[in-house]
Amino acid sequence: MKQLLPLSPRALSLVLLLIPAALTWGQQPEPSLDNLEQQAFKHAVAVASPSIVRIETIGGLEKVGQLLLGDGPTSGVVVSADGYILSSAFNFVRQPTSILVTTPSGKRAAAKIVARDHSRMLVLLKVNSQESFPVVPLAPREELQVGQWAIAIGRTLSPETANVSVGIISATNRIWGKAIQTDSKISPVNYGGALVDIEGRATGILVPLSPHGQSSELAGTEWYDSGIGFAIPISDLLPHLEKMKQGTDLHAGLLGVTLKGTDIYADPPEIAAVQPKSPAYEAGLQAGDRIIQIAGSTVVRHAQLKHALGPHYAGDQITIVYRRGEDQTEVQATLTDKLEPYEHPFLGVLPMRDSEPVTVRFVYPGSPAEAGGIQPGDRITRLNDEPAVSAEDLRVRIANLEIASEVTIEVLRSGAMHKLTITLGTFPSEIPASLPPSRGSPPAGEATVTGKVEIKLPEEKNSCDAYLPENYRDAIPHGLLVWLHEPGTNEFDKLITAWKATCERDNLLLLGPRSADPDKWDPTEVDVVRAMIDEAIRSYNIDPARIVIQGRSAGGAIGYLTAFTHRDIIRGIIPIDVAVPRRTTLKPNDPVERLSIFSIIPAQSKIKPGIEARLKQLEQMKYPVHKVETANAQGRLDAAGQQQLVRWIDSLDKI
Amino acid sequence: MAAPRTRRTDHRSWMRLGICCALVAGFSIPVPAADLASVTLKVQPKMVKVYGAGGLQGLESYQSGFLVSADGHILTVWSYVLDTDFITTILNDGRRFQAELVGADPRLEIAILKIDAENLDFFDRSQDVELDVSSRVLAFSNLFGVATGDEATSVLHGVVSAKTMLDARRGVFKTPYRGPAYVLDAITNNPGAAGGALTDHQGQLAGILGKELRNSLTNTWLNYSIPIAQLNPAIDDILAGKSRPRTDDETAMRPDRPHTLSSLGLVMVPDVLAKTPPYIDAIRRESAAEKNGLRPDDLVLFVGDRLVPSCEALRNELGFIDQIDEIRLVIQRGDELLDITLPGLKNANP
Repeated sequence: MKQLLPLSPRALSLVLLLIPAALTWGQQPEPSLDNLEQQAFKHAVAVASPSIVRIETIGGLEKVGQLLLGDGPTSGVVVSADGYILSSAFNFVRQPTSILVTTPSGKRAAAKIVARDHSRMLVLLKVNSQESFPVVPLAPREELQVGQWAIAIGRTLSPETANVSVGIISATNRIWGKAIQTDSKISPVNYGGALVDIEGRATGILVPLSPHGQSSELAGTEWYDSGIGFAIPISDLLPHLEKMKQGTDLHAGLLGVTLKGTDIYADPPEIAAVQPKSPAYEAGLQAGDRIIQIAGSTVVRHAQLKHALGPHYAGDQITIVYRRGEDQTEVQATLTDKLEPYEHPFLGVLPMRDSEPVTVRFVYPGSPAEAGGIQPGDRITRLNDEPAVSAEDLRVRIANLEIASEVTIEVLRSGAMHKLTITLGTFPSEIPASLPPSRGSPPAGEATVTGKVEIKLPEEKNSCDAYLPENYRDAIPHGLLVWLHEPGTNEFDKLITAWKATCERDNLLLLGPRSADPDKWDPTEVDVVRAMIDEAIRSYNIDPARIVIQGRSAGGAIGYLTAFTHRDIIRGIIPIDVAVPRRTTLKPNDPVERLSIFSIIPAQSKIKPGIEARLKQLEQMKYPVHKVETANAQGRLDAAGQQQLVRWIDSLDKI
Repeated sequence: MAAPRTRRTDHRSWMRLGICCALVAGFSIPVPAADLASVTLKVQPKMVKVYGAGGLQGLESYQSGFLVSADGHILTVWSYVLDTDFITTILNDGRRFQAELVGADPRLEIAILKIDAENLDFFDRSQDVELDVSSRVLAFSNLFGVATGDEATSVLHGVVSAKTMLDARRGVFKTPYRGPAYVLDAITNNPGAAGGALTDHQGQLAGILGKELRNSLTNTWLNYSIPIAQLNPAIDDILAGKSRPRTDDETAMRPDRPHTLSSLGLVMVPDVLAKTPPYIDAIRRESAAEKNGLRPDDLVLFVGDRLVPSCEALRNELGFIDQIDEIRLVIQRGDELLDITLPGLKNANP
């Protein structure tokens, strides 16, 4: 080969072999995606953390409920340069006497709570300082995507630097539209701090939240650092920030409708009742209307309506489109923060239980019905020009009318039609002294099961007794008295002896679910009681208007819990020597799901003041409450008292 | 007749090889950084699974550790798991060794074990790193004891959440360690994870995983690691022979009249375990112990520079100190470590 190059071929080959080594000598490894992400995390934290402030509280309660609270510093997010800070209500649940915020220069300044958002459990603080606070940059809510980086920043662990947790957005629109869900570790270490994106822009304020709708400041705190955490989108609050700065609290917006059906994921949003004087009422909505669109969303199920309304506050104006018959109408409604307690309008009659449409069994003395001229034996055919289909239909329609409004009732009496004008009143406080029988003809049909039977559910260990009177026939709807025994006792046989005659006369069944542990009831057994009642409804003919629960002391406490949890089927509760338990959320009185209370209080009861205080609360919420005191320490009624109780149960289906 | 291999042909094949290498090199530059899979493969051989005392009343009998020397020194946490003469360790490849407690520093809550092996993979502490907030980390440990036999320890990932002092207020953190710590955004606060290794995403050692600890300021569990830089001086000391318990083969002169527990007025808890931790049960009134500030429930950690991991070791150690000499003790009371000196007897009994 000709020598073209200055090097010999062998030397040239060696040089060529060495080229790769030469080129890579001293070269840095290319930054990996891993490293680039780490740099991005650090940068995002650097951008956002000056706007996350340290809050210290002094004084206040040590323990709230069962939770012993830490008293370390907490975090807040700057939303306004003049010193307005948003933080989680959790940080202030101890009601501290002093609140101190560390300012940008590192000094501590006093701050006070200016307003609260009760819907999202946030507080707005104003810091007493002349310094200018760096406002957190915001990420637009529309840009939020599930799976994107989400960095949780707090200022609790170290005075100088923020503490950080890196995760992703797990879901948007949780808790009925109110929150973003993340898997970054959210805990008291960063409640009140910010959730930011990879650019350091804030998406939300970190809070503890419970998906189960509990609305205390502590709900959800047991889920800290567990892979599920929530942040409230700041963009939801911005339109209301000025209002909050003025000191106005924000509340969840209420509409005032009760929807038909019990399955929120299947049933369509059809109105069962509209509360008088509510936003829905003012907008002209009525029972029977089907809501098609609300607050900008098309809705075909209850759950969607809840989702659409969830984020809204009281004072928000929303658009509702509804269908009534063939017509579709669009209206505006302004949501309110509090609905007036619902009081049942009253006509004044008891219906016969063996004829439809409604035959009047009894007219209450002094009632609007009496004043209007209705008489026992009358057949009510029309209410306000619409046919009266059944007792239940009449009850629901009257529930939707206003007290003191006028109604026209058509009755058939001895072949003649009478048109009456009646002004609706309110429920009487007295139970009638005597009542005529509720059925005309004696029961027909074959005798089926009677006497004491056992009800067993395969999946529950609880056992349950039932008693059917000798004259029980499947054709006749029977009321149901559910007896929840006191722990350690089982007096079902005594109950049968005491109530036998009444069961036969008034068509009542007795049910006696037993606790799994004979010595105590567990609050979770509320669902077992419901399952037993459902089984009774499946097996026998039960009148839905007369399902009541009776219980003494601990049995009565479970009775209250069951009644308030299962409003859809329980119509009455007879608590003996027990107050409404503390942990029961008192829901507002419902037009359609009636719950009446017959409270028996032994005169010497040690908890009498407590019982009466809670009953007073129920009365203020316009629940129909009847109180009886007994001389007997067990709360056993005397003969007259027992008869009164029987008549109370017998008149639960009053219209 | 075969053509002789000429120099020309020889050069041509070298040239081809050279050109190919140059071309290949052209396409392979730049050098990619290591991915997490290869990083973990690099770290796992250094991890150790430690088994010892415990297994009762919800206290697990296992924890984690890692090799810090080629001939088998293992760094782990100082805990009840080591309160036994039979500490078993299992390496990444499944080899099982009995380990000896070489020394401990209860202030830092660390201990060094030694196994009889050589040429092991270990963390070279001259290569360790310091991290800042948001640095990505890997945590290697045998949390929940889920790795058995020759299974590798578990790896978690996360970031450094904060760097803070664990010295906040008394009683906030139930640990005698008062120095800087990395608070981690990874759930390392789990049974068996203590003693594990915290590394960056390149597998460089950054710290040791701490024991289960609760932050009473926020009433939450704390995931933390002690930076290796805080531990290096103590590790070096232990490897050099300090903070060790006395071993049987060390010969030292025993004085004729040494101190004894009863001469000091100390009654220790009943010595019923293989290695009963030396807690003081009772103190005799008017004794030297009472007069110098010792109290029941104190735990004796060191006599002089000697670690005394058991009642027996304490008794033994006292036997090397003459009655007339003072005794310097380091004790643990709650989560504080205290230095207490007991004076020697002024007039020695003849």
